[in-house]
Amino acid sequence: MAEVEETIKRIQSQKGVQGIIIVNAEGIPIKSTLDNSSTVQYAGNVHQLLLKARGMVRDIDPQNDLTFLRVRSKKNEIMIAPDKDYFLIVIQNPTE
Amino acid sequence: MSNTTVKQKRTALKVAKSSKTLNVSSGVFRVNQSITKTINPSISGKSFSSASDSKVLDKSLAQTPKHTVQVFDEHGQDVTPHPLYNPDPGVLQPKQGKIFPAHDTSWTTVTDFPSVAFQTTNASFTGPFTKSFFGSVSASRTSQTTESVTDETKDLLVKPDLSSSLSDVQARREEVKEQVREDIIDRVVDSYLTETETIWLLDIPAVSVSEDSEDAEAVKERNKYVERSMQTFNDAPKTKEVQSDSITMVDKAVMSSTWDMYDSFCNKGDASENIVVSAEGKKATVPDSSSMNHLLNPSGPDQSMSVFSTTSTVSGSSAHLEKMTCVLPVEEEPDLELILQSDKFKQDLAVMERVVLANIFQPKLAAYRQLPVIEDPDCVQTQIEEESWTEQSKNSLSPFLEHLWVFKCELTKGRNVSSMTWNKKNPDLLAVGYGQLDFKDQKPGLVCCWSLKNPTWPDRIFHCESGVTALDFSACNANQLAVGMYDGTIAIYNVQTTEQTPIIDSSDCANMHACPVWQLRWVDHDTGLAGEDKGEMLISVSGDGRISKWIHYKGLECVDLMKLKSPNMIVNNQRWNPKILSLAPGLCFDFHPNDSKVYLAGTEEGHIHKCSYSYNEQFLETYKAHTGPVYKVTWSPFCPDIFLSCSSDWTIYLWRQDLSKPVLGFTSGQKVVFDIMWSPHCATVFGAVREGKVEIWDLRVSSLDPTIVSVTNPGVNPTALLFTPETDCVLVGDSEGQVTVYKLKNLPAGDSTQVEALEDVIRTTLSSKHTLGKTDRDA
Repeated sequence: MAEVEETIKRIQSQKGVQGIIIVNAEGIPIKSTLDNSSTVQYAGNVHQLLLKARGMVRDIDPQNDLTFLRVRSKKNEIMIAPDKDYFLIVIQNPTE
Repeated sequence: MSNTTVKQKRTALKVAKSSKTLNVSSGVFRVNQSITKTINPSISGKSFSSASDSKVLDKSLAQTPKHTVQVFDEHGQDVTPHPLYNPDPGVLQPKQGKIFPAHDTSWTTVTDFPSVAFQTTNASFTGPFTKSFFGSVSASRTSQTTESVTDETKDLLVKPDLSSSLSDVQARREEVKEQVREDIIDRVVDSYLTETETIWLLDIPAVSVSEDSEDAEAVKERNKYVERSMQTFNDAPKTKEVQSDSITMVDKAVMSSTWDMYDSFCNKGDASENIVVSAEGKKATVPDSSSMNHLLNPSGPDQSMSVFSTTSTVSGSSAHLEKMTCVLPVEEEPDLELILQSDKFKQDLAVMERVVLANIFQPKLAAYRQLPVIEDPDCVQTQIEEESWTEQSKNSLSPFLEHLWVFKCELTKGRNVSSMTWNKKNPDLLAVGYGQLDFKDQKPGLVCCWSLKNPTWPDRIFHCESGVTALDFSACNANQLAVGMYDGTIAIYNVQTTEQTPIIDSSDCANMHACPVWQLRWVDHDTGLAGEDKGEMLISVSGDGRISKWIHYKGLECVDLMKLKSPNMIVNNQRWNPKILSLAPGLCFDFHPNDSKVYLAGTEEGHIHKCSYSYNEQFLETYKAHTGPVYKVTWSPFCPDIFLSCSSDWTIYLWRQDLSKPVLGFTSGQKVVFDIMWSPHCATVFGAVREGKVEIWDLRVSSLDPTIVSVTNPGVNPTALLFTPETDCVLVGDSEGQVTVYKLKNLPAGDSTQVEALEDVIRTTLSSKHTLGKTDRDA
């Protein structure tokens, strides 16, 4: 447990990381280092994107599954690690 | 009723036996069969009556005009009834020949009329009784008369024509009657009647077959499908009423995707609850319900049952969600805990960390792996960075060490890096041992396994009781790491787990080293050794002067390979009698890369001994040149005879195996050399670590000065050096616990390993030595 906390702290302290959000299976954020409004926004939108992405991957081959999703934008990069019970979002600006 | 019936001979029958006409007549026969059936009796009667009066008709064409029946009333007027039917005389004339009136009884000549094809009707028949007298007359009284009954009917077709032609012909005949009667009356005229070809007038093929015919069976078989109709009796209907509850109908639609169907199929064997839940089919709720099911299950069977019941109702999905939401606030806490503690989450976090770091370190890692560095198009390069970049590019011609990154973290701060080694299987994994090298300020040691993908935090951390002085990864079992410590203990760790305890420890061994283990090596003796010596063995050298082989058998057992006896010392011209055999502490050793039986060992006294594995009494050879402890001795990976040695007497010597004196010596400054290593890529390049400096020597360029000199920060001494086996980078560990990764830039590259170059250098040096008479090079 402490190890997990430490890892989260370490990620948070890396260069350019803007925030970490942990969301449960329904799309409700359960842990976040960002403010509430951004958290809710990210969680909701990423949830929808995940459903689509996962649906797409599995439609093409049902035995396949989504393991990681990265969205690179002009200002930052959103990295999402999805799972059955949760998903983990990290927003980073690597050029900062 | 006329009694002047004239019967015609029945020979017509014979002629008519030709097939064509037979068809016609037979057809006629059949058609008129029904009609004549009623007539027959009357005809027969008549025919018989008339048979008695039969007369022969002479059928000559030119024969008499007919003797028509003429009816006169009392006034003498001709009231002969006209015939009802007036056929076209021109058509029938050639067929029939003359039609003879019944009255011509004067012609009694009976001649054969084989050519008679037709029979004619009696003129007298043209009366009102025409219809009833369709029978033909037979001339002869033979039995043919009996046939006449049946055959009469055959000619029925002809009859109407005959009778119709009768009247017309009659008219004409009557005209000529008077004229010709006299001259022709006695003349016998032969009339020939020939059969004309068949003229088809009407042909209706039959569609029914008699049951007796031979085709009957075939036809029956063909008619497989027979249309039959039946009439049923429709009873009177009766209304009946029933009252029931209204059946509510609900529309249900499911949008099923490929993976949805696949999931349902795979989950068929699972518990029924899951099936019900997953079969709900609504995409959005599937992950929710399955996860909630998963989370609710431990909380109690009644809760899960309620889930089951809500989902079984048709309109249950919305109620299902409601139930979920109202349950949520209670479940939230354990939800977070469960997630955070799950293994998958830890894994995901680790991956995420690496991804984040990859973003940060991408250019450095790319440079390390010799990949082209792609610049981030969205990156805004600051002024400072650009300046430093241009500066470096100016010096691009001369070789230098490009700083890539540093492995360091909180844990390693302040510790001295004592040894570094790469994993044999995973080239990205680096093990670094931290421990003080001198006897003062000893603290517990640390072994960290760093991954290239995460330079900020080691993947594995092992705390050791005493300072770590030697490390080596096994080649056979790539997860085993042998650690040698300052107190002489050797431990083997399994780096796959994060457990802090080693697999095995040598602290139970009676023979364990009493002094620090300065070097460890896993050696693979697969060449030419018998029996149990095959396979990999752990060999260590320690400060108590022993080189031992360790065997893993119910605990580490060791066998001494060699005792490093110190040779005779000459003190004050007196031979020091070595009654007390002292062992010189061994500081390093190296097995020959090709011949695993021969190895070199360096001692604290400055001697280098060449020993053999199988012979543990004496050294094969001793090389004496150093005046201080030999810290490192390494064979050249390319030239089998060359080895390097470094010592605290500020020198590095290049030796050739067969020469007792070093070939070349390298020195630059008066600093202790801690570590040296040959480059795995180029035979003429090696690196050295001195107090305060990192040097890269390239013998092609110069053997007097190092090619690259990199000065470290003041106060920080580099203590360990490691080349990377695959890329052209070098790692330097220092006394502050940092391991810096440098890239060798602009070193003269060669196509091959430059073995010849090295040999050339050596040869020239040797030859120059000989020619110039120099015996030794000063350190």
